[in-house]
Amino acid sequence: MSVLIIPCHIKTDWDVNCLNRLLYSVKEQTRPFDSVYLVDDASPIKYPLNFRFVKQIKLPQNGGPAKARNVGIELALGQNSETILFTDHDCILDQSWHEQMSGFLAKTSFGAVGGMTYSWGETLFDYYHEINGTLCGKWLLPEKKELWYMPALNFGMKADVAKEFIFDERFPTAAGEDVDICLRLRSKYRIGFCAKAKLWHDYGYRSTWTGLKRFVRLFMKYKSSSATLYEGHTVLLWDASESIYQGNAYEPHLPAKGE
Amino acid sequence: MSLIYRRKANEPSLTHFLYDYYGEIAPFVKRIDRKWLIPPLVALKTIEWSIYRWYRTPIRRFYGVKGNELIFMITRRCNDRCPKCGIWEHPEPVSQHMPVAHFLNCLNRLHENLYQVTLTGGEPFTYAEDVILIAREARKLNVPMVVVTNGVLITESVLRVYHELRHILVISVDTMDKDRWRLFRGRNHFDLVMNNIRLARAILGKSLRIQSVLARESEADIPAVKAYCEAHDISHNVQPYMDFGGHWNSAGKVQAANFACAARKNICIYPNGDVVKCFDHHRIPLAKEPLGNIAKEDIITILCKKRATEVSKIMKTCNFPCKQLACNIPTVTYNP
Repeated sequence: MSVLIIPCHIKTDWDVNCLNRLLYSVKEQTRPFDSVYLVDDASPIKYPLNFRFVKQIKLPQNGGPAKARNVGIELALGQNSETILFTDHDCILDQSWHEQMSGFLAKTSFGAVGGMTYSWGETLFDYYHEINGTLCGKWLLPEKKELWYMPALNFGMKADVAKEFIFDERFPTAAGEDVDICLRLRSKYRIGFCAKAKLWHDYGYRSTWTGLKRFVRLFMKYKSSSATLYEGHTVLLWDASESIYQGNAYEPHLPAKGE
Repeated sequence: MSLIYRRKANEPSLTHFLYDYYGEIAPFVKRIDRKWLIPPLVALKTIEWSIYRWYRTPIRRFYGVKGNELIFMITRRCNDRCPKCGIWEHPEPVSQHMPVAHFLNCLNRLHENLYQVTLTGGEPFTYAEDVILIAREARKLNVPMVVVTNGVLITESVLRVYHELRHILVISVDTMDKDRWRLFRGRNHFDLVMNNIRLARAILGKSLRIQSVLARESEADIPAVKAYCEAHDISHNVQPYMDFGGHWNSAGKVQAANFACAARKNICIYPNGDVVKCFDHHRIPLAKEPLGNIAKEDIITILCKKRATEVSKIMKTCNFPCKQLACNIPTVTYNP
């Protein structure tokens, strides 16, 4: 049994369109989810929800994506799900995303899994993020057999792992909370990489000529979270890592020997 | 001598920046398959690099992953004269002994990150009142504490208070031979320490541990210490000898350990309040001077300094033998 958790904070029509686009891709999965939880983190606008398979949970107060995901995890554990997967409202899933992610967790000893993330847009900034691996996670060097971390937009955990490791709700925004859980989780489990579990992320750039401000703000947000994380994780943070992109997605020949 | 932090003298050099920048850009450029896009993409990468390098976030918060150990060398003064240690040879003047309030403030600021506070010296119980104050504060903040002592100055009343606070006491013992004890400690108080160990075992129970230093001089004695600990159901830990100004010799050639130095784990405080990342800090040129002083600055401000980060980066690969000490390992392991 597998559950998909989507935290969202819908502020604009663009967010509504993104959400509908995502849910359409969820509906088209080759292997359907047993449950899909849309955890609405006190969105300021009302929006229609036209997908019956989605269970919407509305939080009374905005608490950030970490809190929203934890609400979903609690519900998923309550219904004895074996696999808990996460994505964000501005993503689009490949048709076999669920099949690949759940299959990977079922067949290997990895406690968590990340998939391959591509940029949805076609601006220079999207291309930059794609080769930079901004939201693609990082290999743990030197072997590249497991991940240093994987952003929560393309992430999954076994239920047993989620019982021990949930998101830290002190992270108020969508920055750093996924790195934090991966670093903590790796103290006990390994995070694997499933290159065949593909999704596309929409960074929201309208054009190459107008996106610079958004680009700078994005990295300023990530820098803020990394400063928060910096002294918090003392041992794991400085393991050598390399961001994933298409060119190194298949290098490690996963799964590891014997798995 | 109080070491004063001179920022300019320790700022990373231009070469360092260039090296760091090149290290980011070179692998990135290799990923670009559309060569005509190299200039704009390198410009974007430079923006990203600059943000990570220079942008000071409005709030640099600490948050509570308990991954740090706060190690306080409460004093250099010691009532023993052990040849294995040279710290006692340079006791701090009374004027340079920091009021304990500064350390308590530091402990309060950091406690959400601490899995342990360790008091070392010198002999910590030279300032027994300060030790108890720190132990009480640590318990209040729910931070386990370890005091490493030579076992001479502990008394029943101190032990009873310590027991109530549920902290761990580590007594240093390198031999069970009374004559060699005098050689090892420079003092003839074998019987006193053995009595104190028995007393501590009775009061503290499993919270008492014994630690030995493995050196060429103590190699033959350690099995007897281990046997004593086993007979009395006391946890025993062996640390390799390190050169902290002492005159002993390593038991064997120190192997380069294949694990990294816990560069971001330890926060070490000298008796005068100077902050370093490791008591072996002085071996790193950029870290010859402390990162700051808790009597003068907030500890978080000190740890968030650029130089603290730079020093941590260097420590990752410093490969000094001291990384084999227990303070470099996330959790100290004792014999079962």
